[in-house]
Amino acid sequence: MTLLTEPVVAAPSGLPPADPREHLTSPRTRAVLRIQNGMLTAARAHLAGRGFTELLPPVIGPVTDPGARGSKQVDVDFYGHRYKLMSSAILYKQASLLAFDRFFYVAPNVRLEPPATSSTSRHLVEFHQIDVEVAGADRQEILRIIEDLVKHVTRHVLDAFPAELALLGRDTAALAAALRGAFGHTTHRQAGERLRALGHDQSPDAEIDWEAEARLSRDHEQPFFVTGYPKGSRGFYDKEDPQQPGALRSFDLLAPEGYGELCSGSERENDYATVVSRMRETGENPAKYAWYLALMRQGLPTSAGFGLGLERFTRYLAGLDEVWQASAFPKLPGVVSP
Amino acid sequence: MRTALRAPGFPEREVRERARHGAARAFPPRQEYGHSVYGAGVAPGGDAIDGLRLVPPVFMPGRLEKLIDLGREPQPGDVRLACGIGGFSSPLPLYVSALGSTQVSAGGLAEALSRQAGRLGLPMVIGENVVPSHGYGHLDTNVERSLRARIGAYSADLPDGSGGVVVQQSTEDADAEVWNAVYSDPAARPLLDSGRLAFELKVGQGAKPGLGGMALTARDGVDRRSFAVVPLFGDTDEQVLRCASAGTFTEEILRQQIRLMRNNYPRARVWVKLHPGRDVGLAAATAWAAGADAVTVDGAEGGSGWAPTSFLDHVGLPLAECLRRVAPGASCLLASGRMWEGSRVVKALALGARAAGLGRAAFLAADEDPEHGLERLVDCLALEISLLTSALGKYRTTELGPEDLWPLPEPYPPEPLPALSATPAARPDTTA
Repeated sequence: MTLLTEPVVAAPSGLPPADPREHLTSPRTRAVLRIQNGMLTAARAHLAGRGFTELLPPVIGPVTDPGARGSKQVDVDFYGHRYKLMSSAILYKQASLLAFDRFFYVAPNVRLEPPATSSTSRHLVEFHQIDVEVAGADRQEILRIIEDLVKHVTRHVLDAFPAELALLGRDTAALAAALRGAFGHTTHRQAGERLRALGHDQSPDAEIDWEAEARLSRDHEQPFFVTGYPKGSRGFYDKEDPQQPGALRSFDLLAPEGYGELCSGSERENDYATVVSRMRETGENPAKYAWYLALMRQGLPTSAGFGLGLERFTRYLAGLDEVWQASAFPKLPGVVSP
Repeated sequence: MRTALRAPGFPEREVRERARHGAARAFPPRQEYGHSVYGAGVAPGGDAIDGLRLVPPVFMPGRLEKLIDLGREPQPGDVRLACGIGGFSSPLPLYVSALGSTQVSAGGLAEALSRQAGRLGLPMVIGENVVPSHGYGHLDTNVERSLRARIGAYSADLPDGSGGVVVQQSTEDADAEVWNAVYSDPAARPLLDSGRLAFELKVGQGAKPGLGGMALTARDGVDRRSFAVVPLFGDTDEQVLRCASAGTFTEEILRQQIRLMRNNYPRARVWVKLHPGRDVGLAAATAWAAGADAVTVDGAEGGSGWAPTSFLDHVGLPLAECLRRVAPGASCLLASGRMWEGSRVVKALALGARAAGLGRAAFLAADEDPEHGLERLVDCLALEISLLTSALGKYRTTELGPEDLWPLPEPYPPEPLPALSATPAARPDTTA
């Protein structure tokens, strides 16, 4: 098969094909998955070269990340105990700092997202994250690590996959523009003010919704960071800013051109009493997190980290309309699929 | 051993019962469990709300206004009963209070009640611990008792544009992810798409303020990881008392939980249920400032759940005092507690509530006639509310106020209230 000589193939729209054969044999799918494979290879090499150890992520546990907006966790019957498939491995990342100061996972996550999110072009029930955690790091340091990683992978894709990008019709000039200069920074408060000025009803206490993110994203040529999300919008493990009570030392990385959020992260909370209070503020029952709290009570290192959504990152680099196009077996919210 | 010792004027029988049966006597008789609904009895002469009188004036400018509007003398039937309740529309200033997990609210009765409430278009609250007790109904064979079945029964004949389902979640429910399960369930989508789904944060229990939910349950069936278990009838009895935790709240915890609800479930309304605590005014103000669409105050008279007798008769503020301590302004305050006839409802509205919750009365009506009992009870209430409101010279229930009561309730010294956030947090109630 000579993929590389084929012309641009029209992008499918809407839902994935019902027949997995059609999706898997599509030249577009194959080009996307080849790019994704290159992205992973480049990310692993980049992180390994900077002293990171790759660990294998846990798949199930008695608790998982409760901070996934409105989505249901998947229960697993673990010998009569209710276990969860990982919605993200954040709690295990903090615990793994006991073994390594700098590590990453390429972690599968499962979230039963509300069916309404199937039309956002950016939600999958099953997806992967490049999950990075660094002991002793602050937000500034971790933002630098993300920026270096994203730029390295972007550069690699531009260099190594010109034919695939051409087949997909990706505007490579837009990608190259993303590499020029440092990524921008804005705060959640500033982003909210900008959105309200544009007539969008953005709450100062909530996440930036999908539509608003896309709107902000369209105004940019480069990926950019939004920092300092409000407390009520994130999980209990993100550290509150001592200088700015109510705001977290958290951040998102948003891709330009309307692609929106690629990555979320934060400095982490590691004070036992603060975490217990924050669990209550997020409606969680501390008893459920016994193993995690026991570790924290004995002491866990300070850290900062992030999860970079692999399929979303692929969507951005490959210029895809829908995030499901970046998955071999896509599962959209509310859509029964193989 | 029993001697000739007597204690006139002292509750000797109760003391002797306790001496024989121990901790089990802290509760109503066990044989009533699952067959009775609880809550405070009526004090001789009634409670403070019963003690109030509705006092129509002689001069009625409001009636003149209505006369001009209609071009004829107004009648009680001209009272507009429809109102907005916590983001929903309701044909009456009434909603159906929480149906909990006790046996009395399980199975056929809960569904009969749900069906009738839906047919009437009245908002309905589904109580905490239904999922940990009865399952959600996805892969559960016990579907009839599940939350999903109640939602299905409610939605079956629900008129367009009216009513809504409010799903409570307690601390133990959070472990079972009740809200996430409902929000991500395609079966709940019609309610969500029509703006008729709300989640209610249960801060406390009406019948047992300061405690969590309680139920008598089979020793073998109880989930000991989620609930505390008390062998109330001895170590070998097959029934035990299952106790949920009360949940810890501070101002900051309540504020952030509400913000998280609004963040995580942007398409659902947010209700908050408070127990009749002494700081109920501050708690309600905190909830509204954080963006709650409705705050429910359950007077110590309320509750269908199993509660210790000491709580039923001695713990928590009476409803009248709760209402005196809460200043709703334009926000939606809901009141429940021994609501069953029109004058009590109208007095609660005059004390600041937007609507009243039917708890025990709704249960009993549906028990009397599973097909139409609640509908007939509501018919009767609608007539009474119309008569009483029009007698006061008012033609919307939202116009009722303390001036309609005697004695005029004394204002409560204001508590320090939290600052409102920069933008109005609560979504405005456009249904009124």
